[in-house]
Amino acid sequence: MSISTLKFSPNGSMLASAAADKLIKLWDAYTGEIIQTLSGHAEGINDIAWSADGEYLASASDDKSIILWSMDLFERVNTLEGHTNFVFCLNYNPRSNLLVSGGYDETVRIWDVARGKSLRVLPAHSDPVTAVSFNHDGTLIVSCAMDGLIRIWDAETGQCLKTLVDDDNPICSHVKFAPNSRFVLAGTQDSTLRLWNCQSSRCVKTYTGHSNRTYCLTACFSVTKGHYIISGSEDAKIFIWDLQTRDVIQVLEGHRDVVLAVATHPNQNIIASSSMEKDLTIRLWVDE
Amino acid sequence: MNDLLNPFAVVTYPTAVQFSLYAGASIARFDPSGRYVAAGRPDGAATVWDLDTRASIRWLEGHVKGITSVDWSRNSRFLLTASKDWNVIIWDLAALADPPDRRTTIRFDAPVLSASFHPRNRQARIVLVLLGTGEVYIIDLRRHARARSRVELVEDDNAEVEDATGRQSAMTVAQFDPSGKYVFVGTSAGTVLVFHTRTKILVGRHRVPGAGAMKSFDFTRNGRSLVTNSVDRTIRQFMLPASYPSPPSSTFSQTPNPQRSPSPSRNASPQQTDGHDQTPAVNGVNGMHEDGDVTMSQVLENELEPTQRFNDPISRTAWHTMSYSPDGQLLAGGAADPAAHKIFIWDISHDGQFVTALDGGREPLLDVHWHPMKSAIASTAKDGNVLIWHYPTPERWGAFAGGFEEVDENVVYEEREDEFDLEDESALALRKKELEDDHVDIINGDDNLPADGSGLLNGSPCAMGPGEGPEEDYDWADVDNEEDCTPWRMKVLMVDDDDAY
Repeated sequence: MSISTLKFSPNGSMLASAAADKLIKLWDAYTGEIIQTLSGHAEGINDIAWSADGEYLASASDDKSIILWSMDLFERVNTLEGHTNFVFCLNYNPRSNLLVSGGYDETVRIWDVARGKSLRVLPAHSDPVTAVSFNHDGTLIVSCAMDGLIRIWDAETGQCLKTLVDDDNPICSHVKFAPNSRFVLAGTQDSTLRLWNCQSSRCVKTYTGHSNRTYCLTACFSVTKGHYIISGSEDAKIFIWDLQTRDVIQVLEGHRDVVLAVATHPNQNIIASSSMEKDLTIRLWVDE
Repeated sequence: MNDLLNPFAVVTYPTAVQFSLYAGASIARFDPSGRYVAAGRPDGAATVWDLDTRASIRWLEGHVKGITSVDWSRNSRFLLTASKDWNVIIWDLAALADPPDRRTTIRFDAPVLSASFHPRNRQARIVLVLLGTGEVYIIDLRRHARARSRVELVEDDNAEVEDATGRQSAMTVAQFDPSGKYVFVGTSAGTVLVFHTRTKILVGRHRVPGAGAMKSFDFTRNGRSLVTNSVDRTIRQFMLPASYPSPPSSTFSQTPNPQRSPSPSRNASPQQTDGHDQTPAVNGVNGMHEDGDVTMSQVLENELEPTQRFNDPISRTAWHTMSYSPDGQLLAGGAADPAAHKIFIWDISHDGQFVTALDGGREPLLDVHWHPMKSAIASTAKDGNVLIWHYPTPERWGAFAGGFEEVDENVVYEEREDEFDLEDESALALRKKELEDDHVDIINGDDNLPADGSGLLNGSPCAMGPGEGPEEDYDWADVDNEEDCTPWRMKVLMVDDDDAY
C-alpha cells in the first residue's frame, strides 16, 4: 500500500493524490482539508496529471486504463483504453489537447483527449516505461524506462530524436523537462539525480546524497524562491539541493517510510510529500 | 532548444501529403500560430481543425451560402468568415461553447467576395471587405471610431481609370499589406491601387501592362514584395516602393498641382449604404476623416515592372491562389487545372527558378496556403478535402542508441594521443566536478516563448511588422487594443461520440 503520486492543481488551490487503494483524493492545498474522493479504477493508481486549465484530471492505473475526470462535476468523462499492461505514468501537453502515457507494455502512447482515441503508439523502450512528459511548448516528449534509457521524441511525428544514456545504465525512475526545456532532470536507481543538457546530450549536474535503489521516486524543480532540486528518498527523508552548487542544503525529516512522491506548489513555497506502507500520510512543508 | 527538431532542415518546401482533413471545404487557412486550420465550406459552415489531433474542434454555423474567405486575427482568438450571403461574421474562439459566440455580424447589400482583419489591430476590430459589386470598405468596429468607410477613387481619379466602355473599373481584389498601413486594391483594368488605411486616401497607382483583371494578391511577410495573379494566367512578382507619399497627418495640407489628385475618403453614399445591422455604420460619421474635401495628397503613379513572372509554360493553366513561404524565399502557386491537383513551387531567391510541382492527385485544386512557420502547405481540393503537405523526415535509427552518431560515409577514426591513457581517478572526479560547476539556466529560453508555457496561450506575441515609417499609423491601429492582449486558451471540448462531427 502506498500513496503513489501527488500533483498540485495549476492554480495551486488543490492537491490531488492517488494511491494503491484505487482512489483519487483532492485536498485543499493550504488547509489540508479533503474536498473530494474520486473512485472508478478497478486497480491501484500509479500517476495523475492535471490539464493546464485545471478543468480535468487524468489518472493512470494498473487496470490498464486511463480515466479522464471533470473537475467541475467530479465525475468520469472518458476512459482511454489501449495499453496492454499497467499504465504507469502520464502527462498532458501544455494545450491539454493531447495526453502522453507510458506503461508496463513498454510503449508510449499519445492520446487525443477530446475524443479519447489513441493517436500514436511509440514502441519506445524494452522495459516498463517509468516516466513520460511533454516539454514547455508541447513539441517534444521525454520518456524513461527501466531499461535505463532516456529518449526524446518529436511530439508531432513520433520520431525518436535522441537517446541519453549513462555509462552503466541504471534503472531510470523519473524524468522531466526543466521549465525552459533545455535540460531534463532524471532520477536513476543508483541513488543519483542528473541534469542533462538536451542539446549536447551531456550530463551537466549530478545530485547525490539521497537513497534510491528500489522504487521510482519522483523528483522536481522548485523555482518559486531560488532554484532547487527536490526529491524523496528511501531513508524516509526529503532532500533539497541547490540547483547550481549541487549541495544538499536541507533534509526534511518526518515521514516514517520511503518518500515516494514529492510535488512543488506552482507559486508558493510549499512542498507536498507522501510516503508508503507504514506511514500513509501526505505532508505539506512550508517555507516561512 | 527546438534545434533538436529537424536538424536536417535543408529542404524548405513540402514534398508529400502528410494527411488530409475531410473538411468539405473550399478554402483553408492556417492560424498565425500554425496549430489550427480554419476551413470554409460551400454550404456556409466553417470548421476549425486541430493539427495535433487532426480533428475538427469547432463547428461555426452562421452563413446560409458558401464561404468566400476566412481570416484569423493576430492572436488566433477571432475568426472571420465572409460569405456570398452578404454577411461577414467574426467568431470568438475563446468562448467555452461549441459553436462559439459570434462577436459581430456585419451585413452588406451584396455578396462578400473577401474579407480580412487588419494585420496589426490585435482586437480584430478593423475589417477590410470586398463586395461582389466591386466596392471595397474598411469597417472600423472600435468604440471610439465606429465607421464604415468606402475605399474609392474620387471623380478626378476616375477619368484615368475608366475603361473603353466608359465605366469605372471594378475592384476585384482588396488586401492589407502586412503592416496594415496600406490597402492594396486590384482592379478589373489591371491596376494596383494603394490606399492609406488610416485616411483612406489614394497614395499609389501602379499599372501592370498586359495583366488584365486582378484575381489575387499575396505579400512577403516584410511587405516588400507583392505577387499578383491576374486573368492573363501569369503570376507577377513586384518589388514595392520603399515608401508611398505620406498622406497629411492632420487636417490640412495643399499641393499646388491639381494633377495630383485629391482623393478624400468618403463614406458610402446613401444609395450605396448597406443595411447596418449590428454595425454602427452611420452615414456621415466617419470617425477618422471627416474633412476629406480639403485634404490633398500626392499619389505615386507608375508602371510597375515585375521582377519575376511565373506561368505554366506547357499547359498555360490559370492560377487560383498563391502563397509565399514564411521567409518569402519560395512561392507556391495553386494551378487551376480542371483535372489535376498541382502546386507549383518557385524559388524566389534563385531568380524565380521553378523548383517542383506537387501532385495531389486528380481532384482539382481550389486554394493554397503556406504554413506561417514550417515547410507545410494546406491545399484544398474540389471534393472538400484539405491536404496538409509536409517534408517527411527520414527515420534516424541512430537516435535510438545513445552516444552514437550516424555518418553517411565511413570515417577513419583517429585516436587522440592521450585517449586511452589511464588518468588518476581523483583528478578525473575533480575535473568532472569542475565541469559541473558551470552555471545552468533552467528558466529562460532562447526562443521567444515564455518558459512557463504561457506562450501556448495564444496571443502573447505582440511585436510585429517593420517599425519604420510614421508610427502614427501603428498608433491608430493600436488604439483600443487593451482587451485582447490578455492571453486566451482554446478550451478542449470533450466529444461524446465519434459522429458528433
